[in-house]
Amino acid sequence: MTKSALAPENVGTQFIASVSQFIACGVGTRFITSVCKNGTTVYFSDLGSIALILALGFALYTVVIAVLGAVRAQPQLVISAKRSLLVVTFFLLLASAALVVSFLTHDFGVNYVAQTSSRAMPWYFTTAAFYGGQQGSLLYWALILSLFSAIFVLTSRRTPVALVPYVIATLMGIETFFLIVLTSVSNPFVRSAVAPPDGAGLNPLLMDPGMLIHPPMLLMGYVSFSLPFAFVVAAMITGKLNNEWLRAIRRWTLAAWTIQTTGLILGAWWAYHVLGWGGYWSWDPVENAALLPWLTATAFLHSTMVQERRGMLKVWNLFLPIATFALSIFGTFEVRSGVISSVHSFAYSNIGAYFLTFLAIVIAFSSALFLFRLPKVRPDQEFDSILSREGIFLLNNLLLTGIAFATLWGTLFPLISAFMRGQTMTVGAPFYDNVMGPLLVVLILAMGIGPLLAWRRTSLTALWRNLSVPIVIAALCAVILPLLGVIDIAANIGFTVCAFTAVAMLYELWRGMRVRHAHGEAYAIALVMLFKRYRQRYGGYVVHLGLVLLVVGMIGSHYFQLQRDAVLNQGQDTQLAGYRLTYLGNIDTKEPDKETITAQLQIWHDGQLQGYIYPGRVIYRNYGNQPASLISITTFGATDLYIYLENWSGLSQADIHVFVNPLVPFVWYGALLMIIGGVFCWWPERRRVVLPHPQGRDKSGPYISRNKLPEYIESKA
Amino acid sequence: MNINNDNKINNIQNTCDLSPSVGTRFIASARNSLRVRGLVCILAALAVMAAVWSTLLIIKPKQETLDQRVQDVASQLRCPVCQGESVADSQATIAQQMRQVIREQLQSGKSKQDIVQYFVRSYGDQIVWLPPWQGFSLLAWLVPMAFLLGGAVLVVIVLRERRTGVAVAGASKTVHNENEIVLDADLEQYRAQLEAELAEEDSLFRHYRTEVK
Repeated sequence: MTKSALAPENVGTQFIASVSQFIACGVGTRFITSVCKNGTTVYFSDLGSIALILALGFALYTVVIAVLGAVRAQPQLVISAKRSLLVVTFFLLLASAALVVSFLTHDFGVNYVAQTSSRAMPWYFTTAAFYGGQQGSLLYWALILSLFSAIFVLTSRRTPVALVPYVIATLMGIETFFLIVLTSVSNPFVRSAVAPPDGAGLNPLLMDPGMLIHPPMLLMGYVSFSLPFAFVVAAMITGKLNNEWLRAIRRWTLAAWTIQTTGLILGAWWAYHVLGWGGYWSWDPVENAALLPWLTATAFLHSTMVQERRGMLKVWNLFLPIATFALSIFGTFEVRSGVISSVHSFAYSNIGAYFLTFLAIVIAFSSALFLFRLPKVRPDQEFDSILSREGIFLLNNLLLTGIAFATLWGTLFPLISAFMRGQTMTVGAPFYDNVMGPLLVVLILAMGIGPLLAWRRTSLTALWRNLSVPIVIAALCAVILPLLGVIDIAANIGFTVCAFTAVAMLYELWRGMRVRHAHGEAYAIALVMLFKRYRQRYGGYVVHLGLVLLVVGMIGSHYFQLQRDAVLNQGQDTQLAGYRLTYLGNIDTKEPDKETITAQLQIWHDGQLQGYIYPGRVIYRNYGNQPASLISITTFGATDLYIYLENWSGLSQADIHVFVNPLVPFVWYGALLMIIGGVFCWWPERRRVVLPHPQGRDKSGPYISRNKLPEYIESKA
Repeated sequence: MNINNDNKINNIQNTCDLSPSVGTRFIASARNSLRVRGLVCILAALAVMAAVWSTLLIIKPKQETLDQRVQDVASQLRCPVCQGESVADSQATIAQQMRQVIREQLQSGKSKQDIVQYFVRSYGDQIVWLPPWQGFSLLAWLVPMAFLLGGAVLVVIVLRERRTGVAVAGASKTVHNENEIVLDADLEQYRAQLEAELAEEDSLFRHYRTEVK
């Protein structure tokens, strides 16, 4: 073994030995603290601090040694880099464990623990407070990045060898940035001289089960875009710009996309169930920041297919992951810097400048590489026709990047205006609704037409043949909808396009089944086999159907929401859209850490009592000026009855706001379908396939690995 | 086995096609008339739709409750003291007062536009979420449009450049058996496309295609 390969491991093992001694010492004495031989008190948080510093050292070492290994073509150095990356992961796990222990043992001497938790909080919120503030969420970022990097290293056997060291170096370069921030300006383990008896507790808005998973999912989504970025950097540095890197990253991108989708949906869910304004998406700058990388990642998922199939759009495919990663960093910067006014303002801090610098470095570095490699990239094949699968993918990418750009522009416009004219402008939901609405409709339309087009070119007659059934059904839908009460033209167009796309996709599925049926399979089995055999194709359709459902829900809640304010005294009632609410009085519950006021109401519909509801407010002891709300949502079929307690006086008066939100449940069903489809696409396929013998269908056909299949078939033909 | 499979396919084709026993030329004209009929159907549907819409709009114009209108105006205004919340969503005292003002003005018969203008006069342009269609804020609208338009133009230019000089080979991949009657070229082509795509990953289709050969 070479010296360099030994170096990190030696330090690592020594440290691990000392740490295990330390932990044994700590647990042996008083759980939190351990009084070691020389008499000084050592806390778990100190262990965390040390682990962070060591992780930083190893991360730097990894970057240097990986690049060196690649430049000098010495595989041992790359192996050393891989190992020291795993050591970084270990130290970050250790630091995170130290923080969790500090939280669970209520070690309020740690500033971060004192700021974000209190003794009265249940254990799950105390643990979730880990990422309830800035320092912890940055540690979480670093931890997840190191875990993903470790997963990459452990599964990198099939990755093209030349790319590996540069991927490792890029990942650890990003990690180094986060560790620098964590060990300097934003250290979660900083202690105060005197520990307060109790902590301040978590912001009540965050005390919701949705908060246990929404921020970590969204952050994980951001982090997971680092991998495609690292692959692009590696591909550009090595000049290996063929499809290999794309294939290696495809499932990562799918996973990243699914995670980010889940994070966004959970955010919408949380807003709907906690914030009390009757909606789930408000085009807030921070929401936009989370949507931006999702849009470019979605565009990337589609354009990779064009490169894999037709060898086109290579430059574009290098650009999109860079943009996605830069937008992820921009998102973190925007949340943390507070340059743009947002409802997420609880996250403000001083580390914005660090992120801006990092963002500038990322953009400068990747642009330089990009321009350097640009002359080398040539498409394998040329475009034949705009009326083709690749043509519709181009349209899809144009629309998605257009939506992303408009969102970014709307988010930044107040800043630009302030900078150019010294006057801030406001760009809010109505702007986005006006701009995105039409783009979204065209996108959905393209989604319906796309699968019906062939690669290369499609004749108009063939297209017409494929489109006639969906068009006729959509036209029927457009005629029937006004009779059902949809008299808004925009809403009708939206619903009609959704109907068209849904029918087009189901029709396509039906034809796939028919082709299989023609080979002698029963329809039900044919359906199962289609999904089993062509995961990504049909999983993609499931995602598309989910999106259509989600858009139907969005149109419904946007155009047909009804609302009413009512100040009710005991026994009074109010009516909205056929629902009658009878107010019975308030209930006041006092607990040591909070006071809960709930209004009791009866819901009557069609002259029948449908049930009792209790919208309310919770006043936490430490956050007396921000009463959190308990929103009552009752679902009748596809309509939500959403009641928010705006104000109250004593036990016999309540000021409620009633929303009737049609089709909102569709948003959640659609979202669920999208996530299921994403997971389905991502799910590992069997590596081996059974190839039936050409002469007969006996099961003893040879096992052929998937990538050898084409040659095998050619040899048999 | 071979024959069996072919029979099945013929059966499927027979059931799929409208007129199985006549010549291809006749079918082509039939298909044309079918397409024309389809267009007529759609035009008729559109006409019916327009008629239904206009009658509905005449019979019952869009009705809104007062609360609805208050909410509509309030959602166009930004709460001046909040962080990124609209007057409609905010619980701040000033937002509640503004909602009250909107309600009173609506009751006194002012239009929604007038009320928004009233707030713009007293708070400035920043009070509305929608950047106005004039002056500097016109940029908020025009730049995204220019981006999309530019993208579209770029795509078209790139496509044109590449297409000149590229000879397109009319690729007809379908392999027909001799006793197989080509009844419907389009359906056949679609099936061939689907099968070719599916066959890339599935031996079942590959198997079938080699058998036909």
